[in-house]
Parts: sequence; structure tokens; C-alpha cells
Amino acid sequence: MKFRMSWLVLSLLVFIFALVACNPDSSEIEDPDAGSSGDDGEAQQEEPDDNELVIANGADMVTLDIHDHNNTSTEAIHVNMFNYLVRTDGEGGFVGDLAEDWETVDDTTWHFTLRDDVQFHNGEDFTAEDVKYTLERVANDDSLLEYGNYNQIVEVNVLGDHEVEIVTENPEPALLNRLSRLGSGMLPSEYIDEVGFEGFLEDPIGTGPYQFDEWVRDDRVVLVPFNDYFEGEPQWDKVTFRAIPEDSTRVSELLTDGVDIATNIPPEDWERIEGEESVKLADSPSQRVMMLILRTAEEEVTGDPKVREAIELAIDSEAIVDSLYEGAATTTRTRVTPGNTGANEDLYGESQYDPDRARELLDEAGYGDGVEITFSSPSGRYLKDRETAELIQAMLGEVGITVDLDIREWSSYVETYGEKGFDEMFMIAYGNSMFDAALALDRLTQEQNEGETDYINEEVEELLLEAESNMDPEERIEQYQKAQELIAEDRPQIYLYQIDSVYGLQENVDFEPRLDEMFYVDDISKN
Amino acid sequence: MRFFLTSVIKIIPVLFIISFIVFFLVRLTGDPVSLMLPETATDQQREDLRNSMGLNDPVYIQYLNYMADVVRGNFGDSYKYNEPALEIVLERLPASFTLAISSMVVATLIAVPAGIYSAIKRNTFIDVVITGSSVLGKAMPNFWLGIMLILLFAVHISIFPVSGSGTIMHLVLPSITLGTAIAAEMTRLIRSSMLEVLGAEYIRTARSKGLLETVVVNKHALRNALIPVVTIMALQTATLIGGTLITETVFSWPGMGQLLVQAVNARDMAIVQAATFIIAILVILSNLMADLTYRYLDPRIKYDD
Repeated sequence: MKFRMSWLVLSLLVFIFALVACNPDSSEIEDPDAGSSGDDGEAQQEEPDDNELVIANGADMVTLDIHDHNNTSTEAIHVNMFNYLVRTDGEGGFVGDLAEDWETVDDTTWHFTLRDDVQFHNGEDFTAEDVKYTLERVANDDSLLEYGNYNQIVEVNVLGDHEVEIVTENPEPALLNRLSRLGSGMLPSEYIDEVGFEGFLEDPIGTGPYQFDEWVRDDRVVLVPFNDYFEGEPQWDKVTFRAIPEDSTRVSELLTDGVDIATNIPPEDWERIEGEESVKLADSPSQRVMMLILRTAEEEVTGDPKVREAIELAIDSEAIVDSLYEGAATTTRTRVTPGNTGANEDLYGESQYDPDRARELLDEAGYGDGVEITFSSPSGRYLKDRETAELIQAMLGEVGITVDLDIREWSSYVETYGEKGFDEMFMIAYGNSMFDAALALDRLTQEQNEGETDYINEEVEELLLEAESNMDPEERIEQYQKAQELIAEDRPQIYLYQIDSVYGLQENVDFEPRLDEMFYVDDISKN
Repeated sequence: MRFFLTSVIKIIPVLFIISFIVFFLVRLTGDPVSLMLPETATDQQREDLRNSMGLNDPVYIQYLNYMADVVRGNFGDSYKYNEPALEIVLERLPASFTLAISSMVVATLIAVPAGIYSAIKRNTFIDVVITGSSVLGKAMPNFWLGIMLILLFAVHISIFPVSGSGTIMHLVLPSITLGTAIAAEMTRLIRSSMLEVLGAEYIRTARSKGLLETVVVNKHALRNALIPVVTIMALQTATLIGGTLITETVFSWPGMGQLLVQAVNARDMAIVQAATFIIAILVILSNLMADLTYRYLDPRIKYDD
């Protein structure tokens, strides 16, 4: 029996070895003809060589269908495989990418001249037909998650091999913003015609500097260089994006040189990284602004502007930034932060803490003996969300506002959010993938805010509606800036702070984190 | 053979009941659309997506449509990945299977000797140490143990990789993490089962025949004591393959646990259904294996053939 037991154990061990050895990743989607890598690199993935870049994300890539997700960290991978027509320059302007030149023909028609030296990874030329296919797919298929951001496009007319015209339903001043973000990566129409979209997802090709090698779900995405890239040969032999959901594991990978860059380093781990010589931290503002959203209808307690003002004055957002975020956030009184078209920089970096005045205001509003509100907050969705809500509860308590705190896990929270079912006040951190004031402020138009803030200010309404379709860029910016001032006074939303993204890097890695959280890997270098 | 067939036929109603419960539980938790679109989506965008996904049909119609597909072996497409759910679930099996088996090996290597030893040396210092350690092993959260193992054996002494999958080295730390907790439970089970058997009359007979104590213990006692242990092992293996979320997350191991929990959180019905289906089959299969092992261990056990 003893003999048999040991044989059993031994044969099990052999079995495991066999499983691991011959079938390491039967779960992967592998691209059979994508270059040289992938055959010898896997066993060594924990020790990247000098010409390999390994980036650890907190979540896996969601999909290879660029039209069917709204996930920033997925886009951060895709931007290396696909190109947009235009790119943001980081200061609210645009530079050409696949488009050389563009102009508006009339209020609803845009003309684009495309580069004529661009090839897809299979060697086929990039032409106007590809632009037509890409944009019309997402503008017409309502099952795609990006449909709502592109259905303004009525049609794309091919005028020549490298000339297209994009026609929108209404005047669309933010078209360039739309074309420089996820959902606009140019797809190979001929190739998709040949292999079908399923075939494309198994072996996707784009025009970018890197091509797809393999994707092992919940583990890694591997890209290899595309040597015929139109802007010259890419610098890395191999780029790996790993999915490491657990924060402390991501930090450990960084400390052991398993990865070159790790995203989303929580404040608890900063000391661990700063204490080591071989690694460092880097941060950048992100597009997320934490804010409170209040009901302004007259029958609500928060319908009184004085109560809303008292709430803003009672909250010391600088203290929250310092204590919970260790300074890695910036207070703001607007959601349209620098880097976005229409940003009002006068309101950025500001906060209005004044608890004495808050008490006076409550007194004036007739709540000298105190008032009670319900405040909902998600837990675990954003960095330090629950902790922020608890601090706000305490701060409001100091001035006489008793807060009934309703903290919920995200899937239940977002349900009530979708139904507009919260009570007086709730907390949320919006992003802005459009880099335009329109996406940030449209939610305050009366059509969209009904049942949520019920905010009515005719002047704001007029400014927002006019700006939405104003084709004069400068006047449009002024309209949005004015609207932000009025909103900051009326407080249907109270803005708290813009959250930074914090990255951990190897000491020899040179990487400037971007506002849009993208990894253009050829802008990253190692010495 | 008939025993095998009846077991397989018994699966069918079980799967129907499971699919019914899972379908309505997932529906009850709410609307998947609200989780698929970003916070900034407008009401119109939500409504459009809900329509295109058929979520505005009455629930019973959705269920009937769904079952009609399942009967044809189609679990539908995952909302998240937009690919056939069954394929996505099956992709995870090798990774889950590898981790499950290697954790069981770790558990067995620890539990069998420890359990036997503490039974033989009942109420001695060694017994107290082993029993105490198994309480400790059970009480240590996997989360904590996993992170400690990473800090010790990957960060301070760089022997193993921190996380990921692909080589045998990647398998060691997660297997120890999972194996320890199972070993703790198994040790106590083996100990009590051994104690019971060692008190039985046939053991007294064996001893009075003058057999060596090792022969008595290993040949006569252990074989009989293993029967309850095999049951637990079979169930544990199925559970392990079905996913061990915490360990998988700590070590970024691409197994079923991560997939299933993410699918539940995203209300990704197709994946939840396909995964539950596969796990149910695995549980039933491992029970079958346990039954067959009983027969081997104790030939007196017979089923109505």
C-alpha cells in the first residue's frame, strides 16, 4: 500500500509536469504569423531583457474589438496596434495621425486628407475605404458599446483613395475629439471582408507600430514590432501587458524587476517603493473628478441654494487630498479640468472651505437646529471612495448637517444611479474620454438632468445648448467657461478633486504619465 | 457501466434546476447594461443598448429563448467578451485543473503522513503540535498566506516568480497557499478516521497475529481510513477546479475563479451559466471518481449493477 501510495503521488506529479510543460497556455489566442517572438520568451517573462517592455495593469484587456468597450486601460494597449485619424496634443488641440489635413466644408461636413504611405500589418494599404468602414460600423450598429458616441455620424463619403468626407447629423464641433479616442482606431476593411469579424478578433491587424502576438485572458497581452510602420521601426522587440489585479502583487512584481511599469499604485504602497533605490514613482493628473451630485428641486432640503453652498463650505477637500491621497489629487471647482477643450482654469486648484460661514448659511436657510440628508457613496469603485464619504459625513456633521450615509457595492450602486433613484446627495467620479466640455456638462442640460439634479438655470441651459453645436471654437470655449462659473455658483454638482494616476517604474525607465492614461510604448525608454 | 449511465442521466434535471436558479438570480440582481456603460452614458444610450440586447423582452421570453439555445449546446455570447461563453469557460480549464491537482498533491503530501502520525502518537506532544498546526492552517486566510509567501520567497529570497502562469515555477506558491488550507482539514479527518479504524476489531486481530505495526497501520488501517478522506478529496478537487478566487487574484492566475466572479459582477449571464454548467459536471464526475475509488479501497462496496 505504501508502495502504491508513493506511485500514485509520483504519477500525479509527472502528470502535472506534463500538463504544465506541454500545455502551458491552451487558453491563449495566438497569432501564428506574427513575427519571431513568443517561442522562447514565456518562461523568462519574469525577467524582461533590455529590449522588452513589461507593463502591469490592474485589469485585463477587455476585448480586441475597438468599438465594443469603454475601458481606458484597454485603449492604452490598443493605441499601439491601431492609429486614429488625429491625436490630441495634450493642450486641447489636435495633430494629424493618419490624417494629414482636415477642414470643415460646412457645419455638418468635414473633409479629411489621409496619409498615402500607411500600411496595415498584412501589407495592405490604408485607404479612405477603411475610414468609411470603421466609422460607419460604429455609427450604425447599436449593439456596440461605443455606438452612442458615434451615431452622430450620418455617413462617410469616399472622395478618392486618400480623401474622405464625414457628414454629421447636426453641427458637431467635438468631432475631432471623437476621432481621437477609443472607437476610432482604423480597421482594415478588406481584411475583415476576407476573414470576417470573428477572424479579425482572432488575428487582429491595424496600422500601429506594434502587432498582435498573443492574448492569454486574465494573464497577458503580447505585442511585437511592425517593422514597416510609417513612422519608422519601433524600438521594442516585445511589449507585454500583464493583468495583475492584486495591488500588493503588482508592487511585488515591480520590486523584483518582474515588470518595468506598474499602474495604480495605492498610497499604502508608496513608502515601500520610495524606500527602494531600484524603483520610483511617477504621477499625472487623470481625467477623473470626484464630485457630489445634489437634488435641486424645491421640495428637497438641498433645493435651497444656501444648503448646497453650506455643504460645499463645510467640506475641506484639501484635507481629504492630503490625508487620504497623500497629496496625489488636485482640488477643483469644475469638472472640465486643464487639457480638455473648454476648461475653466480659474476654477481649477480651488476649494472653498469655511465652516463658520456654512453654519451661518444653514441658519439663514432655517436649519439652525440642524438638518438631515441621505448621502450615497460607492465602495471600492474609486480609489478611497468609502473613506472620502466617511470624512465628508464627519465634516458635514461638524456644521450641523446629519448625514445618513448609504454606502454600497458598485453593481447595486450603479443600478440606483441608472434609475436616478438616489436621495438628496450622492458621490461619483466621472471620467471624460472625449476631452471636451460637452461630455462633462451635457448631463446638466434639463433634458438629461431630469430626475437627477432637476437643475434649472435658463442661462446655463442656453449656453450649453448653443455651445453643443457652435462651430466657432473660440466662442464655444467662452460659452463653456461661462457655464462652468454659473454652475460653480449654483452647485447642482459640487466638485471635490481630480484624482492622479500613480505609477511605479524601474529606476532606469523613462516614462511621462499622460492625462489620457495611454501607453504609447515608443515614447517610453529604458537606459 | 449501468451505474455510470444512471449517474449521467441524473445530471440532466440537476442542470435544468441550476440553470433556472442561476438565470433568475442573475436577473434579480439587476440590469447588466448599467454596468457595461460608463457613468457618463446618457439614458438614451442605456436604452439603445438594452433594446439591442433583448433585455426589454419579458423575463419568461428571455428565459425560453435562452433555454432553446442551451438545449442546442449554445450558451450564448458573453456580454463582456462578445464571444461564445462556453469557449471562454473551457479556455480556463487547463489553468484551473493544473492548480487544483497540484494543490491536492501538496495537501496529500502534508496531510497523509501528518494525519497517520498524529493518530498513532495520539495525545503525545507531536499530536498536539500537528493538531495545533492544522487549526492554524485552517485559520490562516489564503489571502494573507499568499502575500506572505510572495514577500518571503519571491521578493526577499528570489526563488519563485511573484505572479503569473506559464512555467512550473509559477505553480509552486499558489499550490502551497491552497494546499495548506486543504491539508489542515484533511489532516484532522485522517487522524479521526484512523483513530476509529485503529480501535476496530480486525486491527486487534491483525496485531495479535504478530504483524509488524507498520504493516498493520499502512496495510490494514490506512486503506479503510481513507474512504471518508477520498470523499472530501473528490469534492475539494471539484471546488478547486471551479475556482479559488482569492488565490487566483493574489497570484494573477488565469483560472475559473477570476472569470466567474468577474462575470457575476458584470452580470454576464452567458458566462455564469456556462461556468455553472461545467462546474456541475465536474462535481458530478468527481463524485463518480470517488465512488469508483471506494470500490478499489473496499471491494465489499458494490452498487446495484
